[in-house]
Amino acid sequence: MVSDEIVLQIEGLSKIFRSLFAPTGVKAVDSLSLSVRRGETYSIVGPNGSGKTTTLKIVLGLIFPTSGTASIFGGNVADVSVRERIGFLPEDAYLYDVFTGEELLDFYAGLFGYPARRRKELVDELLSLVGMQANRRVPFRECSKGMRQRLALAQALVNDPELLILDEPTSGLDPAGRHQMTELIFELKRRGKTILLCSHFLAEVEEVCDRVGIMYRGRLVAEGTLAELAGAPTEIVITTSGLAPEGASRVGAHSAVLGIDGDAVRMGQESSDELWSVLDAIREAGARVGEVRRPRPSLQDVFVRAIRQDAGEQDVAEEVH
Amino acid sequence: MSDRRNRNLVLLLLAAGLLLMTVPLQESIHELRPHVFDPERKTKRVSAINIGPMPAVIAALGGFRTVAADVLWLRVERDFHGGNWWEIPSLLDAVNQLDPHFLLAWEVHGWHLAYNLHAESETLVDRRHYLGRGIAVLEDAVEANPDSWELTKELAWTLYDRGREPWRAAEYFRRADEFPESKSYVTRMIYRCYEGVLDIPNLMEALEYARNRHTDPNVADDVQHQVIVNDNYNWWLQHKDDPLEHRRQIVKENTARAQRSRPFYLYPDNPHWDVCPHCGLPSPKGSEFCSTYGHPMKPSSGSSRSPGGSRPPAEATSI
Amino acid sequence: MGNLPFAIGFVVVVALLAVTHRLWVPALGHGAASTWRIAKITVAEARRRRVVQAVVVLVLLVLLFMNFFSYLNPREQARMIISGGLSAITVFGILLAIFVAAFLIPQELENRTVYAVLSKPVRRFEFVLGKYLGAMIILAVIMTIMTVVLVGVLLVQDHFVPDFDHSVFEPNLDNVIFAAVMSYFAVAVLAAYIVLISTVSSTAMTVIASFLIWAIGSLQSQIHDLAEAAETVFQKWFFTMFYWIMPPLENFDFRHEVSNFMHVSYRAGINAAGEGVLYIIIVLIVASIFFNDRQM
Repeated sequence: MVSDEIVLQIEGLSKIFRSLFAPTGVKAVDSLSLSVRRGETYSIVGPNGSGKTTTLKIVLGLIFPTSGTASIFGGNVADVSVRERIGFLPEDAYLYDVFTGEELLDFYAGLFGYPARRRKELVDELLSLVGMQANRRVPFRECSKGMRQRLALAQALVNDPELLILDEPTSGLDPAGRHQMTELIFELKRRGKTILLCSHFLAEVEEVCDRVGIMYRGRLVAEGTLAELAGAPTEIVITTSGLAPEGASRVGAHSAVLGIDGDAVRMGQESSDELWSVLDAIREAGARVGEVRRPRPSLQDVFVRAIRQDAGEQDVAEEVH
Repeated sequence: MSDRRNRNLVLLLLAAGLLLMTVPLQESIHELRPHVFDPERKTKRVSAINIGPMPAVIAALGGFRTVAADVLWLRVERDFHGGNWWEIPSLLDAVNQLDPHFLLAWEVHGWHLAYNLHAESETLVDRRHYLGRGIAVLEDAVEANPDSWELTKELAWTLYDRGREPWRAAEYFRRADEFPESKSYVTRMIYRCYEGVLDIPNLMEALEYARNRHTDPNVADDVQHQVIVNDNYNWWLQHKDDPLEHRRQIVKENTARAQRSRPFYLYPDNPHWDVCPHCGLPSPKGSEFCSTYGHPMKPSSGSSRSPGGSRPPAEATSI
Repeated sequence: MGNLPFAIGFVVVVALLAVTHRLWVPALGHGAASTWRIAKITVAEARRRRVVQAVVVLVLLVLLFMNFFSYLNPREQARMIISGGLSAITVFGILLAIFVAAFLIPQELENRTVYAVLSKPVRRFEFVLGKYLGAMIILAVIMTIMTVVLVGVLLVQDHFVPDFDHSVFEPNLDNVIFAAVMSYFAVAVLAAYIVLISTVSSTAMTVIASFLIWAIGSLQSQIHDLAEAAETVFQKWFFTMFYWIMPPLENFDFRHEVSNFMHVSYRAGINAAGEGVLYIIIVLIVASIFFNDRQM
């Protein structure tokens, strides 16, 4: 699915916000370079204030970079023809709140100059895609957060864009809404859209994206596929219940066991015989085995690690969800 | 970056070019509405430098001079009927400043000073003061509204009737008469001014002039004018070299005027009044109905006379 | 006298348009379409918010109470109704322009509705122009309704007020309608200035500045006097610049002439309208320069 064609290219992008109160400027984005290939889902992840939204806005031409360039399909985003091929879901998207879903979509489709009949088809199609058919006549201001977000996504899709830019698509949604949104993004991915999304919510990204760029204080501190970033799984975790302290020390004495954190027994990636013997040891200690997992380091860990490496700071984890 | 700068430069130049294109439009507006834009205009409405009355300045800020003038005018109306006469000139000053084209306000201002306050004043100095002010106000009015024959006439009349300046009055009547919408009595007032002071050469000239004006036989007013002027013309032609007759005429007119303002019952042979047989009040000579209560002036045999409070008819009170 | 600046301006404008025609000619069709769509949705939004209804009710109340001057003579009554009615139309028009135009763009930024629009193939100038046109349509509707009501009041009063021979109730309808149309131009020019300010400043500041500009624009002839009477070159230069930069609102103010039954120069009105349109274009161009460079 992913081809080599580069859809979005960012090179040496910097943005310094100057204001009366900060005459020297606040560096929101600092010599950022990245590229997104066709069909790929690329995610920029970072804590609040790390410059993700600024980057997206520069890409969309809503704000202007201090230096560096961002090009989409090899063209400048200031060019209107480029914008005909992209869709944008803004953060905390809010649309004209007196209008209903279908009126809004009709308006946004009209901005692309589509004739009325095509707009009508398109509106039906999009409403059913985002599951808003039943609520098509509900004014935006009466919609729930989830409905709003789905309408906003539909609004980004009116021109069947090749590149979709999503700013925090799941922020503020309840778990069900988050799930729906993730499903929608999967669906769009299946349809071959290139997706650039940014989020500070790591779990959603983990599920959806092909590549991740981790941004921290305006810089890209790590980039790659999830596997590349996380590396291979290195240990097995056995969750137990009813492990008494002296039993635990006996289990801990086993050569394959790396350590015991409460009820969780961690052991190295040994042969299956080793695993069985550890399990036996646990049973002998009078405890029951709940679950055996081989966890891959979560993006969260990768994230914290990358930031630690970059900044050499102690408590960045606090900034991360 | 420089792309944007170039575009902005082009747009700014475009805007500057368009701004230059408005210059002739604005200049033609200046010519078409001199009473608003001519810096030499007769009344600058409210000068930003010499701050005039406060309401004027405030109203000017939003372009609401006319409405502010209206509001003050309503207060003038109230004060006038409430008898608060001495407050009125200052209100009218503000009205005239706010709306120098509100003709009625000028007219009332001048009239109020030169007639009402002049008459109400208790000393000669005050009288002279209010008369002078009234005339000055009307002069300002004419200056601010050179297009108005009514104000010019009003000034002329005040000069003639109150100011005792018949030559100036004649001059302004002449000016008022030049307006096409002016009335024929204005034309006649020109020679009336000279008549009063026996300026015979000017009088004859003015009569000649009046005879040649308003001669349309299809306009009733013009025909009436011709009758009146010819009457006068013939009289003066007959008597113009007879100073005794002039003197007699003046005495006659002055007597008539005096009689008009004296209590009618002191002059039983008063040629200007008839007395109502019903209420005993005077009405102009020859009136069909009493001008106060509308009683028929001819005593009808059938109708009973109204009881108590009514004055007896004039015959009964002759002294 | 004004021909030389006009010629220079004309040449500059034509030259610039000719040189840059490759940039703007192809964008014309689609640009006009999206401008119109934005104007339409602005109008539709105002309709949903029932802006028009609220104002209309208010104005109807004011205008219908215009006949309480019955103790004045007929000509005065006509004057009062005309000057009061035209001023009501102008004031409501301008207040509405200030509150509609000052919120037009800041509201979009604040609600972040602007992102969904500007990420579509819509130029920022088209956005500004579309919002402005939408506001102008709303104001046109409201001011038309007010004018119709005023004309109705005058006709009714003309029917009921008895005329004296020295004082006639003169409804002066042609001139009243003309003055109302000119008031609309004043409102349109002021609204353009407000849109310009709102692209660079906060809403509260915009509202304050709008009132200030309204006041200064209404003192146009005074500024002209100051420029003519200036004693130093600097003063003259300053006041002249000021005179040309501020909106020429007095050009559109015919209330005075109309309510005094004076001669009304339609020619001056037509020129003022032309000048007003030029001013609107100029101001919107400057507004789009600011808006183009605005970081959102």
